[in-house]
Amino acid sequence: MSLLTACSAAAGKTEQPAITVMVIPDNVLVGDRIRCIISISHSENEFAALEWRDGIDTFSSRSFELISSKHLSSTLLPGSSQDKFELELAVFGAGHQPLPPVTVVLRDSKGRVTKKVVYSPPVSVFVRALTDSSMRDLTPLKPPLKPQIPFLLIMPVILGAFGVAVVVLLLLFLLKRIVRRSAEKVDSSQVAQRKLRKLGSSLSAGMPPHECYEELSNIMRSFLENHYRIRALEAVTQEIERDLKKLGIAGFENIMNLLKQADLVKFADSRPDVEESRQSLHKASEVIRSTRHSRPPEE
Amino acid sequence: MQLAVELEELGTQIIEASSFLEHAEKELSLRIIGQRDVIRRVFIAMLVNGHILLEGVPGLAKTLIVSTFAAAMNLKFQRIQFTPDMLPADLVGTMIYNPKDLEFYPRKGPVFANVILADEINRSPAKVQSALLEAMQERQVTIGSQTFPLQEPFIVLATQNPIEHEGTYLLPEAQVDRFMMKVIVDYPSYDEELEIMLRSATNASKVPVKPVVQSDDIFRARALIDRIYVDPRVQRYIVDLVVATRKPAQFGMAELETMIEYGASPRASIFLLLAAKAHAFLQHRPYITPEDVKAIVYDTLRHRIRPGYEAEADNMKPSDIIRLILQHVQVP
Repeated sequence: MSLLTACSAAAGKTEQPAITVMVIPDNVLVGDRIRCIISISHSENEFAALEWRDGIDTFSSRSFELISSKHLSSTLLPGSSQDKFELELAVFGAGHQPLPPVTVVLRDSKGRVTKKVVYSPPVSVFVRALTDSSMRDLTPLKPPLKPQIPFLLIMPVILGAFGVAVVVLLLLFLLKRIVRRSAEKVDSSQVAQRKLRKLGSSLSAGMPPHECYEELSNIMRSFLENHYRIRALEAVTQEIERDLKKLGIAGFENIMNLLKQADLVKFADSRPDVEESRQSLHKASEVIRSTRHSRPPEE
Repeated sequence: MQLAVELEELGTQIIEASSFLEHAEKELSLRIIGQRDVIRRVFIAMLVNGHILLEGVPGLAKTLIVSTFAAAMNLKFQRIQFTPDMLPADLVGTMIYNPKDLEFYPRKGPVFANVILADEINRSPAKVQSALLEAMQERQVTIGSQTFPLQEPFIVLATQNPIEHEGTYLLPEAQVDRFMMKVIVDYPSYDEELEIMLRSATNASKVPVKPVVQSDDIFRARALIDRIYVDPRVQRYIVDLVVATRKPAQFGMAELETMIEYGASPRASIFLLLAAKAHAFLQHRPYITPEDVKAIVYDTLRHRIRPGYEAEADNMKPSDIIRLILQHVQVP
């Protein structure tokens, strides 16, 4: 924004009004709008107004188009009065454009015209053209730009999204694994103990002891599979023995004794009595309790 | 916990009756270093009247194992080298004309022995293979119009070379199925090979093998093996394993459906049970456990499973398929 001021040549004479013009901005493009503030100081018995004949035709050139005008304020000063007007103008043409002249009309209290001054503001506005006016020939069309830069801009976004997706998947995988591990740690021995208690109740309720041993074998194998993560349900007793030995499980002899007893019942038609079955269930419960806190092998 | 009284008694009898195998094994070890599994498979076949197909590269003492086995068992041994120009008559015998009495007399071939080593069985055409396999199945041979039963025990140990196929006649699946087991004879370990080298690289005569077994010992063992207890759970486990080679999807192995062109025949179930019984006998046990089944399942099933195109493309052998089946079929 720049401020330009101008005073009339007759500003010093008492009968002539003092006029000040301010233009904002003073450097614009064709088609832009400017604000023009006109301040008129006159005697306190008079009223100031701006006039122009037939609207825009008042302007000496077609470089400006009046958009709107309004009376901003009227201020009483000691021995004089000041009126302010604001004009909004659209600017056309190019180069330095002097502001068009305006007619300042002063009236007395009865509305009679006392003075009429045509005032040409000594300020101009520099208007920049949108095209070079010196151009004489049409320039050939430039080829369209290839989208190289956008691709380079998108690549980091794609890589970033991929990286985020990988991290999220990894986190989900780790979370699932941790949850599963903790579930296994907590559950395998508890589940086995619960099943053993249930089996003991069934035995008391009249379950045949040989059926009890078959179920006992299944409970032990499931426990070993979940607790030590060895393949026990599809393995024979010898294979389980080999795996437990390899893992160095403390007290694995007790586990093997139980499994071998169950094998005798299952495969050798051995018929234990209820008391033997009860003792075996008790031993199984102790074995599970003792191995409960032993550390499962790392994968 | 005690066994049932009958099984206790049977167990005692088995321990007594199986002692001849320990003597035989000891005698065999005088000449043969290593190959313990092969020797035990031969014992198993002998105990349940089965035949064995031995597969291994040349020089792994296949012939030595068989001849030493026959000598230790006090059995009549015949080695038959199969060649492309061989005829069935060279194997089973033929009718010979006697000009003195103007009669034809049967002349028995080498198949009339207790232990037959059919060396490189796949070098002879199908008609010769069929003649032998018929003798294996029927345990009798017909020469002319006369039928002669073969002497018991009768065990055929056939060999074939897995790396040389030129000029060979591949045994058809139907004929391979008659062999109870197909045993892979592998290279000896480092220490075994060292001992073989030191023991064999000499001009001294070979250590003589004493006959330590009588035929009656074998027949008595066979009678005891028939009495070995097989729980219904183990029976079902055997059938599960065999059916899983035909319908793997039923056992949660849908991916194997396209890997197997065809699975094991019902003869596999029979041989698997027999071999498991014999294995339990060797362990001095009067009952079978799934351990016995697993111990011989590879040898009993590997020649009865034909891998499909996809399995061959993945370089998947019958042993790999059996391993997967064992991992999926739940043990009782």
